[in-house]
Amino acid sequence: MDHVDHVLIVDDDREIRDLVAGYLKKNGLRVTVAADGRQMRAFLEADRVDLIVLDIMLPGDDGLVLCRELRAGRHKATPILMLTARSDETDRIVGLEMGADDYLSKPFSARELLARIKAVLRRTRMMPPTLAVAEAGQVLAFGRWRLDTTARHLLDQDGVAVGLSGAEYRLLRVFLDHPQRVLSRDQLLNLTQGREAELFERSIDLLVSRLRQRLGDDAREPAYIKTVRAEGYVLAMPVETAAARR
Amino acid sequence: MSWLPRTLRWRLFLILFAGLGLAHALSFGVLFLERYLSARAVMLTNLESDVGTSIALLDRLPAAERPQWLARLARPTYRYEIGPGLPGVPELSPRAAEIADTINTAAGRQFPVTVERIPGPRLHLQAHVTLSDGSIVTIDLLPQVMPLADWLPYVLAVQLLLLVLCTWVAVRLAIRPLLRFAGAAERLDPASTATRLDEGGPTEVAYAATAFNAMRDRIAHYLAERVQILAAISHDLQTPITRMKLRAEMGEDGPDRDKLVNDLAEIELMVREGVAYARSAHGDAEEPVRIDVGSFVESLVFDYQDIGKPVQWIGGATAVATTRPHALRRILTNLIDNALKFAGPVEVEIMATAGRIRIGVLDRGPGIPDDQLEAVLQPFYRLEQSRSRDTGGTGLGLAITHQLARAIGGALTLKNRDGGGLAAEVMLGAASPGSDR
Repeated sequence: MDHVDHVLIVDDDREIRDLVAGYLKKNGLRVTVAADGRQMRAFLEADRVDLIVLDIMLPGDDGLVLCRELRAGRHKATPILMLTARSDETDRIVGLEMGADDYLSKPFSARELLARIKAVLRRTRMMPPTLAVAEAGQVLAFGRWRLDTTARHLLDQDGVAVGLSGAEYRLLRVFLDHPQRVLSRDQLLNLTQGREAELFERSIDLLVSRLRQRLGDDAREPAYIKTVRAEGYVLAMPVETAAARR
Repeated sequence: MSWLPRTLRWRLFLILFAGLGLAHALSFGVLFLERYLSARAVMLTNLESDVGTSIALLDRLPAAERPQWLARLARPTYRYEIGPGLPGVPELSPRAAEIADTINTAAGRQFPVTVERIPGPRLHLQAHVTLSDGSIVTIDLLPQVMPLADWLPYVLAVQLLLLVLCTWVAVRLAIRPLLRFAGAAERLDPASTATRLDEGGPTEVAYAATAFNAMRDRIAHYLAERVQILAAISHDLQTPITRMKLRAEMGEDGPDRDKLVNDLAEIELMVREGVAYARSAHGDAEEPVRIDVGSFVESLVFDYQDIGKPVQWIGGATAVATTRPHALRRILTNLIDNALKFAGPVEVEIMATAGRIRIGVLDRGPGIPDDQLEAVLQPFYRLEQSRSRDTGGTGLGLAITHQLARAIGGALTLKNRDGGGLAAEVMLGAASPGSDR
């Protein structure tokens, strides 16, 4: 029998909870609902889920507190999709810093939620389980660059932030999460897939060349991202995790 | 009063210095006059009694003995000689006339006297007295100009310098708080506590500083309240909107459902933009970061290209600037979104002029009538064309962009391009030259 993904929805508004649960069930997911942190904990004691949809505004412990708690405990591998109050940068940053995998701002549409859930699940499945994904809120150092994963800044040795487009950032994150490991175009494509843009296999090559340019890498003799013929690309640099800023 | 200098500093300085200088000169003049008058009175009295005695003495002495006495009778300013003296002219200045009168009074009752002036650079008088035996005695007078001490000019110069110095200090003391207030008002940022004025100093200044800080706090309070109200409204609206949206999605497909979804999207946008506008005055609490503007803008353009939008980076200078990247991103995406919506293909360029970076968002659309270029930056202002075309949005987009640009210390200007289209330019703060990559 096929595995049916099990999603836990934590939201204090009963109607939203039920409407979302209904929609997700109709689309082939197994859904459990919880009204607050207490119910969530009680459920997770007994069962395991594939993904948690967590509202930020909750009575008692809010979503950020719960998110941090989940990341610290035995559910640290369970993907979390945060529902934020607004699409503000600060909320997004705080959410990602607390360890959420993605976020969706209210008011959202059920269709969008379903798409995000599927994207997050696909992304986490793609990740080789032996490799830990760098937690958000850290600074990754490689070569003469540092990547601040909270603010999404690529910093050169002088501390000047170099701009990265959304796709460039995601691709760089994929490389940094899997350093010195050959990644096929197909893997890169799947892991880099954003929410707006549809990437094609050819666009990975374009993205890699853009990223090399950003890193000041020579295309003929790249020091950072090397081409492996017939296989894909590899980040040739070791990556160190530095403590977060502040 | 066009002859007055432009600055208050110089006006005050001029008034104070002129007043003090005049008072000083006046008191010096009065003192000098008084001293002169009293010295002259003393001199004339002395002259009268002395000349009277001396002439009487010379008259009594036998003619042969007279020359021996001359040296004894000589005084610093006048001496006696036997003989007719030097030729002179009879015209006398008032001062000479006074001296002549005195000599006449002293000796003239007994002996005939003629007083003459000897022409020369300084006052020189000779009085010819005919004694009773017919011989002539000449009194040679070299009246002393009022003696002035050598050090007096130096003292005067030092006093003048002291006057200038004190006036300058006083003016500075009065002007400085004013400049401080002006600077503080200009930099006023209710979101940060760093702009508080120092409440020390003289009572009046301290009072004004306290009042200024209180005003700043009130503004901060109003702003915070505005954001809070909007945030509260939007937050309370979010739950019902989310419910409605979900319910609409579950409903039957059909034109009614689509209309409902569209209306909800409009409400949602309005709420979001309202909060964004309220926040934009604060420029968020975002920390400024040094960014490479070239790659920043280029990556933004790539984001658009990745979702298939016609946005081109036409390059230009690159430089490092210290700014708030999220705010800048928001400014540029607002401008690019606007251009895409109303005009079609968009070009983005960076220019560095006079140490400042300008990012231009250019299109070839219909532009904006010149007389409305300023007005469109106001909240809820909409151009006729956008209203009638039903693509209006909330009317807050440009207002948010405008406020954000100001909040990051920059400026937004709109102008119509030669050959049609709109150029929206964002001026950033001061820049340093590009990194060596």
